Amino acid sequence: MKTLVQRVTRRIDPSIFIVTGLLVALILGGSLLSDRFGTLQNFANVLEQCVSLGFVSLGQTLVILTGGIDLSIGALINLTSSLTSGFINGRAELLIPVICGVLLLGIAIGALNGVLVVGLGVHPLVVTIGMMSVLQGVTLVYTLMPPGSVPLSFEFFAYGRVWGVPFGIMVMLAIFLVLGLFLKRVRLGRYIYAVGGNIEAARLSGISANRVLIFVYASCGFFAALTGVYLVSRMGIGDPWMGQGYTLASITPVVVGGTILAGGKGGVLGSLIGVFLISFLNNMLNFLDVSTFYQWIVQGVIIIIAVSFYIERQR
Amino acid sequence: MRGSTITLNKRQWLRPDLLVPLFQRYGLFIFLIVLIVTATAISPHFMTSKNIKDILNQAAPLGMAAMGQTFVILTGGFDLSVASLMATVAVIATSVGRGENAMVIPVFLISIAFASAVGFANGWLVTKRKVSPFLATLATMIVLQGVRFGYTKGAPSSNLPPAFRTFGTGDFFEVPINLIALAFLTLLFAVLLYRTSYGRRLYLTGGNPRAAYLAGINTDGVIILAYMACAVLASLAGLFLVGYVGSVDNWVGRGYELDSIAAVVMGGASFKGGQGGIFGSLAGVLVLIVIFNLVLLLGLPVQAQMIVKGTVIILASAFYLSRRR
Repeated sequence: MKTLVQRVTRRIDPSIFIVTGLLVALILGGSLLSDRFGTLQNFANVLEQCVSLGFVSLGQTLVILTGGIDLSIGALINLTSSLTSGFINGRAELLIPVICGVLLLGIAIGALNGVLVVGLGVHPLVVTIGMMSVLQGVTLVYTLMPPGSVPLSFEFFAYGRVWGVPFGIMVMLAIFLVLGLFLKRVRLGRYIYAVGGNIEAARLSGISANRVLIFVYASCGFFAALTGVYLVSRMGIGDPWMGQGYTLASITPVVVGGTILAGGKGGVLGSLIGVFLISFLNNMLNFLDVSTFYQWIVQGVIIIIAVSFYIERQR
Repeated sequence: MRGSTITLNKRQWLRPDLLVPLFQRYGLFIFLIVLIVTATAISPHFMTSKNIKDILNQAAPLGMAAMGQTFVILTGGFDLSVASLMATVAVIATSVGRGENAMVIPVFLISIAFASAVGFANGWLVTKRKVSPFLATLATMIVLQGVRFGYTKGAPSSNLPPAFRTFGTGDFFEVPINLIALAFLTLLFAVLLYRTSYGRRLYLTGGNPRAAYLAGINTDGVIILAYMACAVLASLAGLFLVGYVGSVDNWVGRGYELDSIAAVVMGGASFKGGQGGIFGSLAGVLVLIVIFNLVLLLGLPVQAQMIVKGTVIILASAFYLSRRR
């Protein structure tokens, strides 16, 4: 029995224990400080609110695992959310075709990011900054205001509950499970780590690093588009500025969860717990009547503490 | 789009072997000239003294920010806190300045001191705590944002000493004052970068930190100073920009962190460090601003600026990379 526990724990990165410990401490502390925090209703609310952050962070995790970064996420959310509600424009029969189209568009734009990174050899930061600018411009050419509308039934994605559990979080957890297994068990998933760890070594051992890179950026594009669709469901309308904060927000849970920016180390489990940590933290600060402004400071400090702590440990 | 397609044609046209090395060396400067000539040919309004003044007025703050960013990128990092620092300094300008010209010098001194502290914090995190520059400066950016909003509660202010308005928009013998300031700072920092041992140490540290360390250079100190230079230049950029804009809304300089990085990379710097320089970065700034201007003169919607900017950033950095291979 002990050996089994040891075998399991040895395979899990220690940073996971640290974030989990922080999360547990946070939930316990929050429950003590505020009697409204520790209720099932509030937990369900937090889980509902963290879905969009979860989607973008999962996508960003894949990119960061290869040592890259995607800064075009926010602009892509703006574009896809505007297109979704603009094209559907209240017609329920267009719901599925438009959503499929928008998700495909996300994949295509993400793949274009990947192709530019691979083909031009430009640093991902620069490629995705450029892409961000282009996408935001295209979005604003399409619309300057929240366009169109979606049928009320579409709210189910964001607000629906199945047996009391928010539907959105079930989708997110399902995707997380698939991604986790994919990274551990599927060859392409292992290649992502190989490319992030040492791209030259990966190339020399016969991995098509270019294909891996294009794949991760395409996935990240898909998740950004999915977030765009989700936010439309949540807000009832798309918005050319709605995704603005998500670009940088998507990075925080990933690095707090122990994935390192240099690539090759980390995983989606850490990011998922990171998402919960950030979401519960913001929720608790809300209950404590701490203004958003000071929540920013807390978030910045957490990044610094988490990251410098991990680095310290690795040396 | 027009600007970039024309360059592509020019590149094909300039294919003959004699011109290639010249073009590779001074690519961005040639691109800038081509851009200006094209702009003059396309729009009669481009080469008017008012428009040129507008361009230079807009270029000066971004030029200062990009110059600072050059120092940090030379070390192999980059600074995302530039825009947040600019806005914070702008808040200092209204809250310390209180609309009185007598407070201008204190505002400058406090801003520079504050920026030095922020730059030091960035540099300290990057060197002593081994935090990646991306995260260290991202965290600083968010913290500054929180501090700024916590102080102003999000309210805008226009309680700016009138002198700042003069700095940002005024002329001195037909030359914009903030351009004179930029020229002065360029001279100062060019001497620092190209004529002092600190500049040499900076290039060496960026090019090969290990070798620099083994050669007895205090690499941590060099890097921390680079972040401090970047922050101080960003604070000056913030003060001149707020003079140009005229009011403080907590987001003064928004987008300057990415625009300045883009300008520096277009100017031939590499994220690996040790490559690039001030004049390339300034040319990158001018390219960005002239393109913005051209889009407006052509009567295209403002949104087209973003599309063109993104395309040019990607293509220009791709061009520089192809040169290095």
